[in-house]
Amino acid sequence: MAPGRKGRIVRRSIAIAAVVAVSLAMEVSGFLATPDAERPEVAWVTLHAVVPLVFAACAGIAWAIGPSRVPARLMVIFPILWIPQTFYAVIGGLGWLWPVVRGIDLWWAVLTGILVLVYPRGWLGDRTDRVIARIAVAASLVNLIVVVLFASPDAAPCDCAPNVYQITEAPALFAFVDIGFRVVGAGLALVIAGRLLVRWVRGSVPARAVAFLMPVALLAWVLTVLALVVSYAMSATSLQVIDTVSLIAIASIPVSYVAGIAHTRNMRARVADLMRITREGADRGLWAESLARTLRDASVRVYWWDEENGRYADAAGEPIEHDPADRNGDHSLLPVSSPTGMPIALIRHDRVLTTNSRLLDGVSSALRLSVDNGRLRSEIERTLEQVRQSRQRIVEAGVEARRRIERDLHDGAQQHLVSLGMSLRLAANTAREHGDEPLTSALEDTITMLNQALRELRELAHGIHPSLLSSGGLALAVPELAGRCPVPVEVDVQAEGRLPELIESTAYFVLAECLANVAKHSGASRAWVRAHVFDHELRLVVRDNGVGGASLEAGTGMLGISDRIDAVDGSLELESPPGAGTTVTMRIPLHEAPSE
Amino acid sequence: MNDARPLRVAIADDALLLREGIAKVLEGGGLDVVASVGTGDELLEVLQAGDVDAAVLDIRMPPSYRDEGIVALESIRANGSTVGVLLLSMYATPEYALRVMGAGSGTGYLLKERVSEPQTLVRAVETVASGGSVVDPEVVEQLVKRTRADDPLSRLTERERSVLELMAQGYSNGGIAQTLFLGLKTVETHVRSILQKLDLEESPEHHRRVLAVLTLLGER
Repeated sequence: MAPGRKGRIVRRSIAIAAVVAVSLAMEVSGFLATPDAERPEVAWVTLHAVVPLVFAACAGIAWAIGPSRVPARLMVIFPILWIPQTFYAVIGGLGWLWPVVRGIDLWWAVLTGILVLVYPRGWLGDRTDRVIARIAVAASLVNLIVVVLFASPDAAPCDCAPNVYQITEAPALFAFVDIGFRVVGAGLALVIAGRLLVRWVRGSVPARAVAFLMPVALLAWVLTVLALVVSYAMSATSLQVIDTVSLIAIASIPVSYVAGIAHTRNMRARVADLMRITREGADRGLWAESLARTLRDASVRVYWWDEENGRYADAAGEPIEHDPADRNGDHSLLPVSSPTGMPIALIRHDRVLTTNSRLLDGVSSALRLSVDNGRLRSEIERTLEQVRQSRQRIVEAGVEARRRIERDLHDGAQQHLVSLGMSLRLAANTAREHGDEPLTSALEDTITMLNQALRELRELAHGIHPSLLSSGGLALAVPELAGRCPVPVEVDVQAEGRLPELIESTAYFVLAECLANVAKHSGASRAWVRAHVFDHELRLVVRDNGVGGASLEAGTGMLGISDRIDAVDGSLELESPPGAGTTVTMRIPLHEAPSE
Repeated sequence: MNDARPLRVAIADDALLLREGIAKVLEGGGLDVVASVGTGDELLEVLQAGDVDAAVLDIRMPPSYRDEGIVALESIRANGSTVGVLLLSMYATPEYALRVMGAGSGTGYLLKERVSEPQTLVRAVETVASGGSVVDPEVVEQLVKRTRADDPLSRLTERERSVLELMAQGYSNGGIAQTLFLGLKTVETHVRSILQKLDLEESPEHHRRVLAVLTLLGER
């Protein structure tokens, strides 16, 4: 993209420089070739020379910021067609050239008229506009042909060589066409200015903001042209003042054009602001307000699609008026719907804004984005909340299942095995009383084996859910847990009262997992466990003086801990630089105050 | 202990099978089981009403199946009763043992599976009835096994360690002498040395000694 853009800038700069050079060359050579007595004032010549320069400069700007390349091209051609009358003194000797130049020396006016017509879109959008443009071009061609074929040397302000193309002397026809062409041109310019003026007067505030310089400039120019045409037709010398006003009016046309485009661009920048507001998730009232500000149209109304009632209503819920577009034609309606075709809103805006389709596109996009954003956000929030709740339910169910299994073991298998041991003991005693030594010793062995099995079952049940946690909470269960760790552990539990069961069991099992990691991987000689409750938060810290280098990714151990912590909305921080021990800090929010 | 009259024992356990088994074992040991109930509250009523020397009760009982047995013990002591209380548990939990000992003299904490060792159970009931203390060897084993940095136990000799474990279980010097086949004088020397090394005060009351040793082991 960049090289193409650079090449385009270079090409455009060269074109502008070339036309400026041609224009200045014509101006200077004409001035020098004209005898002193006939020379116009230097000030006027300077002003005359500045006009094409203004066009060339505006062409550069229009190229850079305009939505269409047409106006810039028209502006860049203008300096070549801006032929000073003094230039005939230079080319008068060339019988093959001066008639052609004489035929096109008013084309700059045609070009300027078309420039005004394409404002502000950059192309001829209206049927009437296209008709006007066609008439102007046709008249120019007719004029060129007539001038080339019938102009005699006295048609130009010079001691000209004979016209090599001249077929016959027809001064009446020539004068008719020559003056007629000017009259038609002035008439067309008047029509264009009138159209612009009417549009401007009937338009509301935004319309005037979009185009107010242009009709004024055009009107000023047309009026001066009319004056010049009248004086030309009457072969009178035109007034210097009118001439000067005319020049200024012409020069102000491209300036108005560029200013108008810049204004539209500025509007688009405000659409970008609207996008930003949209992204930040503004409410409907604020959005409509920002839209009115963006469009500089206080009459903007936004009607939102009410899905329940199947109609449009304003932010307050009032349904839309019968015909919000009103038949007077001051307002247009812009329906906005989602990519899936679902209606979102109806924007009532000033009709004039319809010409700025890009602006309205931006507005619809912003609105679509806003609604889609809001919809997605609420959907994600809802899903997230569901996932969070179901995860908590799963974890709670897990805790409950563990507790139930432990209790079943305690009340079932363990009790039965204890009773069984008792029965075996009675049997062994009986066997001993009967003097059956082998049976006695066999029963004694069985009791020993049974007690070993009971011991293992006890450990298993304890691992599934420590009964001490249910009855004594973290204050008792954590020291007991630490006591089982083969690495010496210093314990500091400050948790007055009991915490919610889910929090207690989560804390217990993550600490158990952390201590298992310390024992298995850290190679530490000491460890520290801290469980503190403050600020509605349970903070757990497990620290060791081992090899470090633990990570959340490395093993499933840390991941399991992190999952358990996540399930209770907690956070986990792992600090484990190689060779400098490991510190795991976990925070679990306590939504309800700990029960006393 | 009065040989003329067998010890009168009340039992509380929510598991009927065990309750009856315990009663059978105690009766086999020559004790008189006067009541057998399913909850701590019922036991309290029995104790208030009758002339009972010792109570044997489960720690986990209705309604919440947590530590009702210990709560019942604490109520008994709060009522000023010095009846011997032996608590039975499926788990050897040092924290429970300390809490039980903390309730005062004449208390014991045993694993339930000791019912398959009738002498152990009967002797434990007799001990608590006479105001002595009993702690399950499994609990003491767990406490001794606990690893601590800067362990004061490391200063003890092998023999002293064995003596300490028996002290923690509630044995008197005489009991220790019998168990380890040592002379009473030797045991007394060991005990003095242990108390010195562990920076414990020699207490004239037997129960205080058990509690001190257990607490030391638990806090170590």
